[in-house]
Amino acid sequence: MSATNTLSVAEQKSLRAKMYKKHNLANILTHWFNVLSWLMLLPTGVAIIASPRLGITPLWIQEWFRNMFGGTANLITFHYTVGFVWIFILMFNVFVGWRRYFIPFAANRMIMDKDDMQWMMIKPLQMLGLRKGEPLPPQDAYNAGQKVYSYFVVLGTAGIMVSGPVMVLKEYFPPIIKQIAQPVHFLSVFMIVAWLFIHVYMGAIFPEEKEAFFSMFTGKVSAWYAKNHHAKWYWQKMQEEMDWEDEVSQKVAAEASASHDGAAAD
Amino acid sequence: MANDTKKRYGFVIDVSRCIDCRACMVACSVENTVPYNHTRIWVHDQGVQGDWPNLKRTFVPYNCMHCDNPPCTEVCVSGATYKNKDNGLVLVDQEACIGCGFCAEACPYDVRYIDEQRGVVDKCNGCFQRVETGMMPACVQTCVGGSRLFGDFNDPESTVSKALSSASSAIRLDAKRQDGNSTGPNIYYIHAPAEMLNLVTTDKFGQMEGKVPEASEYTLSEEVWKKLIIPVIGLATVATFGVQAVFFTKQLVEGEKEFEE
Repeated sequence: MSATNTLSVAEQKSLRAKMYKKHNLANILTHWFNVLSWLMLLPTGVAIIASPRLGITPLWIQEWFRNMFGGTANLITFHYTVGFVWIFILMFNVFVGWRRYFIPFAANRMIMDKDDMQWMMIKPLQMLGLRKGEPLPPQDAYNAGQKVYSYFVVLGTAGIMVSGPVMVLKEYFPPIIKQIAQPVHFLSVFMIVAWLFIHVYMGAIFPEEKEAFFSMFTGKVSAWYAKNHHAKWYWQKMQEEMDWEDEVSQKVAAEASASHDGAAAD
Repeated sequence: MANDTKKRYGFVIDVSRCIDCRACMVACSVENTVPYNHTRIWVHDQGVQGDWPNLKRTFVPYNCMHCDNPPCTEVCVSGATYKNKDNGLVLVDQEACIGCGFCAEACPYDVRYIDEQRGVVDKCNGCFQRVETGMMPACVQTCVGGSRLFGDFNDPESTVSKALSSASSAIRLDAKRQDGNSTGPNIYYIHAPAEMLNLVTTDKFGQMEGKVPEASEYTLSEEVWKKLIIPVIGLATVATFGVQAVFFTKQLVEGEKEFEE
């Protein structure tokens, strides 16, 4: 069917044994810190929304959380206290790691190219059962869907971090700003959560992507996985490896010839 | 009369006894340390009416009506303002309030104000801190003419119930809500002259101008919420789950071959 099926057992074995580093420790820690914060912030945030006019949260969830935290005020205080810790640590990570992690991440992992655009045109239709036969263009370390989601997350996170404190620091803002902050806050959260289901499903549940899940702990994926799911990244890694091999062999050759010349001079 | 609270605290105001001395306004501000630029209680002057020599002048004191169906509590996003289930008073939890002012816009009587210094909404709380200890609200205790009465409408022996049952006439300033029901205000005006009924059918109510008796309207932000944002959120959620369901079912039916390239 495709090229990988024709690989020999030995080749496949070596691909499976070889590991590539996909995530660095900073990204892994920030990711799991973010997961922890969202686990605390999302349920409490949803439970705060009480207005029957908005009709978002069922009454039993509202009452359950209010009883658990001891009233509306305590629930809100918990929500924004965790929220401020989240903002502080996340921003700390982003700004401390600005040059070392954030800019390289944005430059290498987030920028979309022609293949990504094509992927975006084909993949959603394939998920709906259309354009079945068409091959998907090779993907980077993150596929086009993940790249698009990363923009949603960055934008949404910014939206949450601006609109949240506006509502907490209530003395300093006029009512109209606080009125606007509410839909901004909800929409920012929704922008992230709408695709969070897919993110969690693909990362933690979908069997084909099992390695992606464990890579979020170890930081590493096998070459086999990289070749199948992130071909472009794999070939890039291969290129780097070959360049390195060339470099080393040139050095060795140069040294050998130098010593040979020296020997000849003697 | 829809109410499921244990007590139903409210006011009975004898309109014929009010002389517009405004002692209630002062007492309220002192008791509740209301900022100078705000008040929680008003006395509406209907002005001189009729032809000389048959002149009449009516003063209508009012404050939060502690409605049975308050429109203000419904628009509060966090539930910071609520109708107390024990005593029926409409209260604001100022620790939870962010002062966005949705409730102030929703109130047909305009009795809520935004305390700019604390950034929260404030209003008449029925002097709950006094009522709890067995005292009357400041405005009631101070009322020289005995115009204001306070008590529990659910208790037939209370002052307000007795005053109401012995009164020759009683009206309420009902405002129609969006759903067509009355707000069910808990201030009863007794011995009110016929002119006061104008308040129910015209919009001459001082600070309330344009509010009573019009139905409470959806603000622009509410319109946007109800007609645009909520449907979009609903659709997007359904679409997200729908796509995943299709994806998942396909995977179950076809095995994993589609993803092996």
